[in-house]
Amino acid sequence: MNILTSLAVGILFAAGVYQILRRNVIRAAIGLVLISNAVNLFLFTTGAYNGTSAAYSTATTQISDPLPQALVLTAIVISMGGFAFVLSLLYAISTRYKTSDSDEVKGLKN
Amino acid sequence: MNAASLLLPLLLPLIGVPITILFRKQRRLQSTIAFLLMLTALGFTINLLRIVLTTGQPVTVQLGAWSAPFGITLTADLLSVFMLLMTQSVLCAGLLYALGSQEQAVQYRTFYPLFLALSSGLTGAFLTGDLFNLFVFAEIIVISGAALTAIADDKYGVEAAYKYFYISTLASVFFLLGVGSLYVAYGTLNMADLSVRIAADPNAPLAMTGMAFLTATFLIKSATFPFHFWQPDFHAAAPTAVSAMLSSLVVKMGVYGFFRMTTLLFAEEAELLKLLLVILGVIGVLYGGFGALGTHNAKRMLAYSTLAQIGFILVGIGWGTPLSLAAALVFTFNHALIKAAMLMLAGAMASRAAVKSASFEVIVGVGKYHPVAGLLFLIGGMALAGIPPLNGFVSKLMIFWSGVEAAQYIPLLIIGVASIVTLVYVIRAFMRVWFEDNPQAKPKEGDKLLAPALLIVLSLVLGLWSEPLVAFAQTTAAWMLEPNAYILAILGGG
Repeated sequence: MNILTSLAVGILFAAGVYQILRRNVIRAAIGLVLISNAVNLFLFTTGAYNGTSAAYSTATTQISDPLPQALVLTAIVISMGGFAFVLSLLYAISTRYKTSDSDEVKGLKN
Repeated sequence: MNAASLLLPLLLPLIGVPITILFRKQRRLQSTIAFLLMLTALGFTINLLRIVLTTGQPVTVQLGAWSAPFGITLTADLLSVFMLLMTQSVLCAGLLYALGSQEQAVQYRTFYPLFLALSSGLTGAFLTGDLFNLFVFAEIIVISGAALTAIADDKYGVEAAYKYFYISTLASVFFLLGVGSLYVAYGTLNMADLSVRIAADPNAPLAMTGMAFLTATFLIKSATFPFHFWQPDFHAAAPTAVSAMLSSLVVKMGVYGFFRMTTLLFAEEAELLKLLLVILGVIGVLYGGFGALGTHNAKRMLAYSTLAQIGFILVGIGWGTPLSLAAALVFTFNHALIKAAMLMLAGAMASRAAVKSASFEVIVGVGKYHPVAGLLFLIGGMALAGIPPLNGFVSKLMIFWSGVEAAQYIPLLIIGVASIVTLVYVIRAFMRVWFEDNPQAKPKEGDKLLAPALLIVLSLVLGLWSEPLVAFAQTTAAWMLEPNAYILAILGGG
């Protein structure tokens, strides 16, 4: 299980980095999402001890660490807002520059 | 009582966001509410400073009454209050500039809500005592800053906002990785608790990884040399009132991160980090100075100059002696005032030009009809270059003095030579805008000059009468080097 999650984090990261390095801005945005999900998964694994019951239970069994789950929830919400914002910026860019090639979005190079 | 005095500077701008959205149709009322809220927040910040100084204790609030290492802690020690005072005063000036600005962006209905969100993000980032909470406030800063840039009059605003947002999201990814690594290593996110645990066991697995990720985050946030490439684009394209805030305050969030990392989190084992900061700071001073020389746009020139000035601050943090930390603090404060004023003046000149742009080709000769702005720009430029009797001189003198004391002659020599470059580009800009002839320049009304004038007067006062600020910074540095009081105030039940 540990190896599986680490592999998942690694593969998501690699795919995200690969997409970010592409010239297409949409692909780069997708890369961003992949990377932030890789990080969410990584955060999740920081608390993945072998708990058998939820944190609110009064049972004396071993409980999982609830904090990373709270962190992941917050991070997911924030990254969702951020991704919506990136997409709206991309929409504005594509209507203004008529391209999705990041090499042609270079109005600021003066 | 103490809890309210700590929470109000944060809550006022935060509550202001929905309130100003409600009044989005009445623009005058909306802007007045925003300005009054910020002024009140500044008043409460000064009150907070008074409380911290008289009691000699950090003010601490445990949110939701969850005791220290478990809940989220808000703490105002002297460093927080120092940064807060700087932030709130410059933000008030920024809002004042926006009130008198003729830009389209300021007319935008969500301008004031976004501006208040930016200020609550900055305030929260300086007040929080919890690493993850710092991440949340950093995200508020990033999103509101990017949105404020995307609505700029500059037609490349969207591009700049996209660039910034992209880079900052990657910085947030690094931040989360750092937070996660430190959590694995030490099982806590509270900065005071982390400090204790790191000191007890500096070699826990993933501890160094966490430190490296946090360093990368703050390097991106403060736009230090190898991570600077987005900064001139972003700061030059934003609306003037916003770019003054971005260049003077938002980059200071990263600087604040380094203050905390070297004096609290990794107080004992930060030698490598400090060395890195000195090296990158020196490169930043050189690169920023020469980059500013090569620009054709007044705002872009000032953005490059921020790169250089952040370099000075990082060098001060990197030396890490009491004097150099105090110097870095004074430099941080003075730079915020001067850079905000200079960017506002550049923007005000741009608003008076034939075409609205801060490019030197456009604003050349515009200053002919605005001698007062010229005087302010000259004073601000002298302050930026560090000519006595202005406040920039005090900050540079302290940096050089602390370098001599720490016997760091090679970095000292380099930054000394590079700081002369500042004078060259500032004078060049001044001569082009105020002394060259341009037949196209006509007398024209533009953005009001009250806000930059106030900031320049403040710089002049702080140059002639620098004693209180220097003493304040030295006390702050002394507090920073004794993190036990901070840790006790948070963990010792409060």
